[in-house]
Amino acid sequence: MRNISALVFASGLAFLLLVITWQFILGGAPMLIGEAILQQAAEELGAANLVTSVVLGYRGIDTLGEIAILFTASTATSLVLSSIAEKTSAKSKPGLRDDGTILASSASLFFPLLMTIGLYIILHGHLTPGGGFQGGVILAAAFFLPLLAVPGRGVNHSGLALVEGFAGASFIVIGIIALFQGKAFLQPLFGHGEMGSLLSAGSLPLLYIAVGLKVGAELSGLLANLAEPSGNGDETLSATESASTEQTSMQAEKTKS
Amino acid sequence: MNNIAFNVALPLLTAFLLPIISSGSKSATRFVGPFVLLAMLWFALAYFNVLQHPVAIALGGFLPPLGISFHLDNLSLLMAALIPLMMLLLWPYNNREGFREESLLLLLAGAASGLALSGDLFNIYVFYELLSVASFGLAAANRTAAAFAATFRYVIISGLGTVLALTGIALIYTQTGTLNLAHIGLLASQLNNPVGLSAFALIVIGIGVKAEIFPVNGWVPEVYSTASPRISALLAGLISKLAVLVIIRLLVVAYQGSQALTLLLVLGMLGIIWGELSAWHSKDLKRMFSFSSIGQLGMVLVAFSIPGDAGMAAGIAMMLHHLVVKPGMFLLTENWNGPIKKLKGAATSSPLAAFLFMLFALSMIGVPPLPGFWAKLLLVTGLVEANAPLYIIALVVLLTATVIEAHYLMSTALKIFSRGKKKHFKKLLQTPFNLTIATIFGAVLLAALFTLTPLGNKLNQIATESSDRSLYIKTTLSLKLPPQVKQQVSKVQ
Repeated sequence: MRNISALVFASGLAFLLLVITWQFILGGAPMLIGEAILQQAAEELGAANLVTSVVLGYRGIDTLGEIAILFTASTATSLVLSSIAEKTSAKSKPGLRDDGTILASSASLFFPLLMTIGLYIILHGHLTPGGGFQGGVILAAAFFLPLLAVPGRGVNHSGLALVEGFAGASFIVIGIIALFQGKAFLQPLFGHGEMGSLLSAGSLPLLYIAVGLKVGAELSGLLANLAEPSGNGDETLSATESASTEQTSMQAEKTKS
Repeated sequence: MNNIAFNVALPLLTAFLLPIISSGSKSATRFVGPFVLLAMLWFALAYFNVLQHPVAIALGGFLPPLGISFHLDNLSLLMAALIPLMMLLLWPYNNREGFREESLLLLLAGAASGLALSGDLFNIYVFYELLSVASFGLAAANRTAAAFAATFRYVIISGLGTVLALTGIALIYTQTGTLNLAHIGLLASQLNNPVGLSAFALIVIGIGVKAEIFPVNGWVPEVYSTASPRISALLAGLISKLAVLVIIRLLVVAYQGSQALTLLLVLGMLGIIWGELSAWHSKDLKRMFSFSSIGQLGMVLVAFSIPGDAGMAAGIAMMLHHLVVKPGMFLLTENWNGPIKKLKGAATSSPLAAFLFMLFALSMIGVPPLPGFWAKLLLVTGLVEANAPLYIIALVVLLTATVIEAHYLMSTALKIFSRGKKKHFKKLLQTPFNLTIATIFGAVLLAALFTLTPLGNKLNQIATESSDRSLYIKTTLSLKLPPQVKQQVSKVQ
């Protein structure tokens, strides 16, 4: 019964989307906002990368929402995982495999390279394609690669939490400073500078540094969190198992009633 | 007026810093959250008091429609004040386990405030997503296997919903070329085609996951019966209303045609029928309340589908009534777990809880002179005055649903007040905290009874203001259109 209704829903949705696609006049969509932004963004914000002026300028509060979503996801995940970790911490950790010198040392070799690329992309976010989100992901990869190569290597969680918290807070604080100067929340500060130079586009590079550090710290913390209890997979399995049995009993009750 | 941005910025800032604060001092962790909520309440109430006419503020200093704007009117400020108020009432004051639940609650508060205030469709989507993710964490915060299973289903359905809503927003963007709600309203004529209407349907279904709208509410009974009563109260009472608020904003500003109203009416009726019948069938108190919540939100949707001020007033009244009654009911379930059969004799061990249950139940059925009666009366007169075949069918559905509601609530009440063994309910005396909060909700309900006239006047004022489409558009776009956009807008018209 449930399968049939899901099938009906899915085919209805597919039909609707097909009909809508049929209606489209390709290439004829109005670009009211897009064109207006293209015309005035460079003058208003002074960022050579127009995408950055949209992401941090015109739609800055969306970006605040996005970094908050990532933070929420990692908080929720650690809330769920902490219950499993608590149960398993009593047991002794099983012996970890040593995957060899080549893997370990090439991971260490990659670390500075990835850090440099990540920071470069963050710092030049207002000039070239890329920015805080993209660079932040590369930073997270830099921290996660050694962890993959040498499982069981600890991660400094409190240090990551510190970076994460202060980076996120500084994004909001930059917004609030504008508010105290009598401007609107998240209004860009300190003039434009010369377009195309590293020190330009006002406070946008600062916002991108905050985003980059936050994304980097958050993703590496999240990945490390997921990686850590994996050594004791049987416990995780039993938790999901009991969950599924409980659900089947719930369904049984439903069919009974 | 710019300071209202604090209602979004402060809770997010505190949530980001909470891990650091908690490693420093445990007691500070416990006090900082309520303190921030009080500040949010203060900001919202301060503006609510001085507001003469709706105001729009441009975030980042970029004028709408290029930048994102917040729309401040009586309805959005009322919701912005209710968010911290409900959070304060349902805050986990006795939680000593850590900071994560507090952090998620603050993120939820920030996202909800953004959702209430925002006047930009994509910004609404971002805050809706934030709201969803925070509520996943809270639904699983119990950390029982059943809660994980229920949350997993919730994640899947919500994921489907957000994808549908995003598709709808993208379709609106292809038709109008803008994301600002007021600007969309200005170009509403371009949405009066199959693509525009299906965009509305997709957004209603997508956002409707949180509003417990008919086809996408499968998560409701499982999540509400496994999460802690405080979280169920918060999700059913507050969060569902914010999703409804988004839908009616879009309806008022951009979809004035009858097709959109018919869609809401039909979905609302199906919600009433499904919710009330399932509630009637259910053997467990929490599941019964969850299903009845679906039915009640169906009634809210039916109310908003009535055109004009009458529908708006009835909808807001039903919404506010449900916002007070349902959290109160969920808080009572703390000690009344398990099948309804076992509730025999509950009244003898806790007369106060039994009295509160009776009060909430009677008000929900709509027994005069309780506030629920007046809200349902507004809905019934609205349906009669709308005077179209579909609305008369809705009236029949509504009245039948009321009879069913009365039957299952009263038979439960009969169980509670019948004689039985006392020993099952001894626990109630040990955790009176939730009962105290439920008493506050009951007191609010009774207080509303004695201030019906001023409440009714304010309600009418809010309804007239928020169903005024041109007022909404003028408020935002009077901030001065950038010349290029003005030129293009005039070209399109």
